[in-house]
Amino acid sequence: MHSLRVPALLLIVGILVTQFVQSGSLYSIFTQAVIYAIFALGIGILLRQNGLVSFGHALYFGMAGYGMGILLAGSGMPAEAAMLLVLLVMGLSAFLIGLVIVRVPGIAFSMLTLAMGQMSYLLASRARGVTGGADGMGIAWPAQVFGVSQSVLLKPPTFFLISWCIMVAVLLVVSLILATRFGSISEAIRDNEERARFIGIRTTVPRALIYALSAVVTGIAGLLSSLNSGFISPESLHWSVSAIALLMVIVGGFRQLAGPIVGAIVYVLIKDVLGDLATHSMAIFGTALIIVIVFAPEGIAGVLRHWLRRPQTAASANELPGS
Amino acid sequence: MLAIHLFNGLVYGALLIIISSGLALIYGLRRVVNFAHGALYMLGAYLGFAIMQASNFWVALVLAPAAMAFLGVLLDRYGFRLLQDREPLSVMLVTFGLLLILEDVVVFIWGKTNYSIFTPELLHFSVTLFGESVPAYRVAVLFMGVLVAVGLTAWLRFSRVGLYVRAASTDPVTTSMQGVNTDLISAGVVGLGCALAGLAGIVAAPFLSLSPSMGSDVLIDSFVVVVIGGLGSLGGAFLVAVLLGIIQTLGAVYMPAIAVLLPFMLMIAVLIWKPSGLAGSRT
Repeated sequence: MHSLRVPALLLIVGILVTQFVQSGSLYSIFTQAVIYAIFALGIGILLRQNGLVSFGHALYFGMAGYGMGILLAGSGMPAEAAMLLVLLVMGLSAFLIGLVIVRVPGIAFSMLTLAMGQMSYLLASRARGVTGGADGMGIAWPAQVFGVSQSVLLKPPTFFLISWCIMVAVLLVVSLILATRFGSISEAIRDNEERARFIGIRTTVPRALIYALSAVVTGIAGLLSSLNSGFISPESLHWSVSAIALLMVIVGGFRQLAGPIVGAIVYVLIKDVLGDLATHSMAIFGTALIIVIVFAPEGIAGVLRHWLRRPQTAASANELPGS
Repeated sequence: MLAIHLFNGLVYGALLIIISSGLALIYGLRRVVNFAHGALYMLGAYLGFAIMQASNFWVALVLAPAAMAFLGVLLDRYGFRLLQDREPLSVMLVTFGLLLILEDVVVFIWGKTNYSIFTPELLHFSVTLFGESVPAYRVAVLFMGVLVAVGLTAWLRFSRVGLYVRAASTDPVTTSMQGVNTDLISAGVVGLGCALAGLAGIVAAPFLSLSPSMGSDVLIDSFVVVVIGGLGSLGGAFLVAVLLGIIQTLGAVYMPAIAVLLPFMLMIAVLIWKPSGLAGSRT
């Protein structure tokens, strides 16, 4: 039941926020943070379970938006079915791509994902007929999504709470998936692929599945973002978007599943809430990234966890010299 | 028309040669995939711009790379050298942090507006090439690219320090056991790599405008060059740089959709079939 503690805590935090915050613009910023958090969660899963750093996850973030835009414009499909279809297609294609690319180790994998992401960016900016090119495309959401009219759904506090709950649900589902045998297998492969193979584990499929899972999670963020803004442009596929999300993962800490969420919240707080610093937010974040990597590779979540547990360890550390 | 596009492609290729040779050198010695390289290129251009306001283009052409070399030596001494036992991925992310800081510093000093640098007086004329009139400055850029390619190759191949550099990029431990100060070599090479990035920046400034985002696209292009060319292989990088320059320029005119994707497809193919160059482990 340990895996339920963090999601439960987060759910309470979300509800508390809606009780105390009044300002609508603050909610928009918070919603942005939640969307980033789900995005980063996807990258975090890949890093935590496969040990692979993706520099191209914007591919799945943007693909979800473009998928919705194209389906809603052309097919007359209900929005709910389209969302499901987009996630399904994305999961499946990510699994197939994963079968090929997860074998590529280390930095080469990062470069590979960077190339894939950048390719999709260029494709979306050039294919004017389908994607609207560099101008982007509006997404023709119907008046009602899941039976709720858009004006109600997109009210800043409502949409924040919905996004927050989706984030918690994603976290919960992912941690349940990773608590199974499948999760342990992927960790065994991450730690030593050769040994895992020797004890009879097929190593590529679980890794590809993790890649697909991470793509779908990031895709959910893309869906929320496209619902929130009703618009998609090639900018959301650009490599810098992937890199910023990755930065949240590292700063937040990837060893804890919820670390990327912490990273995303800290990012948005620095960028949008601390007004005076906002012009230099990227330098602050760059510095934070370097400090975290050099001095605290477990990230903010790792440090927090360490602090929360310190009373015990500090006590035992004090005993040693005296005894 | 074809000739002029081809010529412009070669000019961009020459620029890519200057940038990506620095990237390849740094990777060879420190096994660092330097995300800050595009930002260093941008910083070089802005430094050149600042120096030009006080004096002229030619002073900037010398001083800006010199300043970047100094910065590079510091970067190696207080960055890469301290991080050399870390995982290559961590160091790569550190250079990404550096990229964010450098971009912000440039915005802080020079603002977000685009600047342009005028072509130096001495090269402000046209020459006729294959029946087309082209700016002399671009011909000079082409020569600069050739000069860097030939100069680097000769230096690595025929000089004693070049031998040390080649040895240290193959096996730094054995090389240092043979009595070569590999830390000094690395500092020198990272300095040289940064100087080349700066040189590319100031050389590009008169025909590409200066903006805080100018490093981003060039960075990705030079990654493409270095990966397809084979890491550590300067010769391969030179060839791919020229090809990429031509593809990008011709492609933009004749077949936009396919041509922009081709380099990335090649890069993906290379990484899937032969990722060893970038695998990052070295014992």
